[in-house]
Amino acid sequence: MIPGIGALAQDTLWCFSQVKGTIEIGATEADIISTVEFNHTGELLATGDKGGRVVIFQREQESKNQVHRRGEYNVYSTFQSHEPEFDYLKSLEIEEKINKIRWLPQQNAAYFLLSTNDKTVKLWKVSERDKRPEGYNLKDEEGRLRDPATITTLRVPVLRPMDLMVEATPRRVFANAHTYHINSISVNSDYETYMSADDLRINLWNFEITNQSFNIVDIKPANMEELTEVITAAEFHPHHCNTFVYSSSKGTIRLCDMRASALCDRHTKFFEEPEDPSNRSFFSEIISSISDVKFSHSGRYIMTRDYLTVKVWDLNMENRPIETYQVHDYLRSKLCSLYENDCIFDKFECVWNGSDSVIMTGSYNNFFRMFDRNTKRDVTLEASRENSKPRAILKPRKVCVGGKRRKDEISVDSLDFSKKILHTAWHPSENIIAVAATNNLYIFQDKVN
Amino acid sequence: MECALDAQSLISISLRKIHSSRTQRGGIKLHKNLLVSYVLRNARQLYLSERYAELYRRQQQQQQQQQQQQQQQQQPPHHQHQHLAYAAPGMPASAADFGPLQLGGGGDAEAREPAARHQLHQLHQLHQLHLQQQLHQHQHPAPRGCAAAAAAAAAGAPAGGAGALSELPGCAALQPPHGAPHRGQPLEPLQPGPAPLPPPAPAALCPRDPRASAACSAPSAPPAAAPQAAAGASPPASPAPASSPGFYRGAYPAPSDFGVHCSSQTTVLDLDTHVVTTVENGYLHQDCCASAHCPCCGQGAPGPGLASAAGCKRKYYPGQEEDEDDEEDAGDLGAEPPGGAPFAPCKRARFEDFCPDSSPDASNISNLISIFGSGFSGLVSRQPDSSEQPPPLNGQLCAKQALASLGAWTRAIVAF
Repeated sequence: MIPGIGALAQDTLWCFSQVKGTIEIGATEADIISTVEFNHTGELLATGDKGGRVVIFQREQESKNQVHRRGEYNVYSTFQSHEPEFDYLKSLEIEEKINKIRWLPQQNAAYFLLSTNDKTVKLWKVSERDKRPEGYNLKDEEGRLRDPATITTLRVPVLRPMDLMVEATPRRVFANAHTYHINSISVNSDYETYMSADDLRINLWNFEITNQSFNIVDIKPANMEELTEVITAAEFHPHHCNTFVYSSSKGTIRLCDMRASALCDRHTKFFEEPEDPSNRSFFSEIISSISDVKFSHSGRYIMTRDYLTVKVWDLNMENRPIETYQVHDYLRSKLCSLYENDCIFDKFECVWNGSDSVIMTGSYNNFFRMFDRNTKRDVTLEASRENSKPRAILKPRKVCVGGKRRKDEISVDSLDFSKKILHTAWHPSENIIAVAATNNLYIFQDKVN
Repeated sequence: MECALDAQSLISISLRKIHSSRTQRGGIKLHKNLLVSYVLRNARQLYLSERYAELYRRQQQQQQQQQQQQQQQQQPPHHQHQHLAYAAPGMPASAADFGPLQLGGGGDAEAREPAARHQLHQLHQLHQLHLQQQLHQHQHPAPRGCAAAAAAAAAGAPAGGAGALSELPGCAALQPPHGAPHRGQPLEPLQPGPAPLPPPAPAALCPRDPRASAACSAPSAPPAAAPQAAAGASPPASPAPASSPGFYRGAYPAPSDFGVHCSSQTTVLDLDTHVVTTVENGYLHQDCCASAHCPCCGQGAPGPGLASAAGCKRKYYPGQEEDEDDEEDAGDLGAEPPGGAPFAPCKRARFEDFCPDSSPDASNISNLISIFGSGFSGLVSRQPDSSEQPPPLNGQLCAKQALASLGAWTRAIVAF
């Protein structure tokens, strides 16, 4: 399956594959999924939720019996990554919500991932155990110590097979380095370091060292009254270990080179599109704030998401994006209401497909949008239980803006703003997507002929 | 799904958000509060520009009446030091002509009321039209110097006599402008190009920055024709701004552009009762100094932020020091009698002045200070001769306090 070739957004038919999560309406807030991430091979899919839990799904091996159905994702491991904490000095409660999960490339039999809440990053090792030592001399079968006086013979313990057990252990805890809320983590291509970004600072860590980190970006003004922007997202370049970008609440992106200086406050490149003055409103600053930034797999482009649009930038051109896609421009006239109900502060993420030809982002009413960069076509799909029959093809949805509403269209005022798709993920090499809709995780695949 | 787009309601909504963020789980979110502060700033600029425009219009009208009466009477000199709303001391003396008592002179105040209100309405529409046009030509939304300032008073204003406008510097209370004139550049980037209403009366409206005033006084001819043309154009234009939901009506660059100012007190005229109240302005002197454009302080670097106080020693007020303690006492802010939301939705404001009474509402006000920092402290004191009853501490008051004070909401961030 070659992604991108023939996998045009409009020509690709997306089918429902699976849905994870509870169906009942009384799902608690702790079950709300807050991050979704495939690992580098696509074999594992991790989700984090507001309750601080991480659930990892593993793709089952494709069976010869059912060739028309590609491997399904089943629960592989579940563990509590973060617990709620209380900062006594500041009288602040620290939420356990998992803000981001990032996988490390696999280097041995175990899997490693980073998960972070607002203040603390943790490195988790997820490993399998399918053998168990038996025949200890000093311990009995239940593990209780035996009285040495009762031991009359010695034996060598042997490893016996057991039911597969997946255990997750925290290998590193990177704490106390952030005053503000962590919004991003990104693993460097050298696989030795990673960075964590909060509202005003970015720190560089070595995986082996937990009691030190280097501060590489600090935009905190000397006087907080002069604060005009915060960091909203940051990411390392996929290939160049010295390069990273960070986005700001003012709609700008800065590319920094760590070779230039130890403190990368001065950017190497500055990406900003001039504002269109005719669109000026009370809420211009809010909707221009970038909520997510992602490098393309090639490393040549970056994609940014603000409230109403997705933009693709060429690293070689700083003065404007090369592509701008309207996600839900019909909301432009509703900004005041969205401000009142806080929806205007929602932070949508965006993702590239494996070949960088299609980009995807979420919207309201459990809609998500895909834009094909080559054909310039786009599609709106919905993650809903009604479309949840196995291999059911998703029907494109349309929001009607004007007066006449066609039969299948939905009007802007009927959109459910409590159903928002903020987090999505795309398999690194295949047309498999994971879409988080509140407390449910939908997995869609393209139709296999 | 429509919501009230007027500045006042937006301000109260924003204040409510900032307040409730203190009690939200996970601590205060810097990013969200920063964005809310931007909305607050935008709404306040609109509110103030509207207010200035109306007050100015009334002044003009009153002045014409006064000029007729001047031939019979002589004005008492002690009015000169009183200015109408946010005026700066050291203003050209002619600006003092708009002492409030003059406006109240004569028994024909009430007789002028209906006509005044009608003209006020016209002024408002005119003002919106002009600012809408200004918006289209502005490259950046940041407050800009004289052009926008002039725009605020453009509608209906006769072409520039110096001192035609006295309400410069509420900007004292507003963030320092980023505008070009204050960097010594000419007004070109700010002028709307082929706008039908180029900034009129710039000489009157320019900040006292001598560099800017030279640039400001340049375009004085065209404005003479502007008001008439604008007056003619206003009725058809008025529905347009109001009918576009999601966009505030004109006025984006607003009196905040006025820049310079260093007044430390505000004299406010109640247009209904013609009572004058002098209130200590809520901003701090260092914030004024931090503006690049403040000649009395002569500081160099312009502040790029919402309120810059670079290089100035920060004053701490008792209410502010209690910030950390107030974190747990966030509930105290809801100390108003109704146990529900601390800020009642405020009604559409009349143009009446406010006078915070220090005694009964002092605790509430000091709580606000603890949120918003020292920006509100000036509002606690009041002149003994003020006669207004203390308003309830609802969203209306807070909105007014926010409007009056400098960068108050930016200090919300500091408090965090």
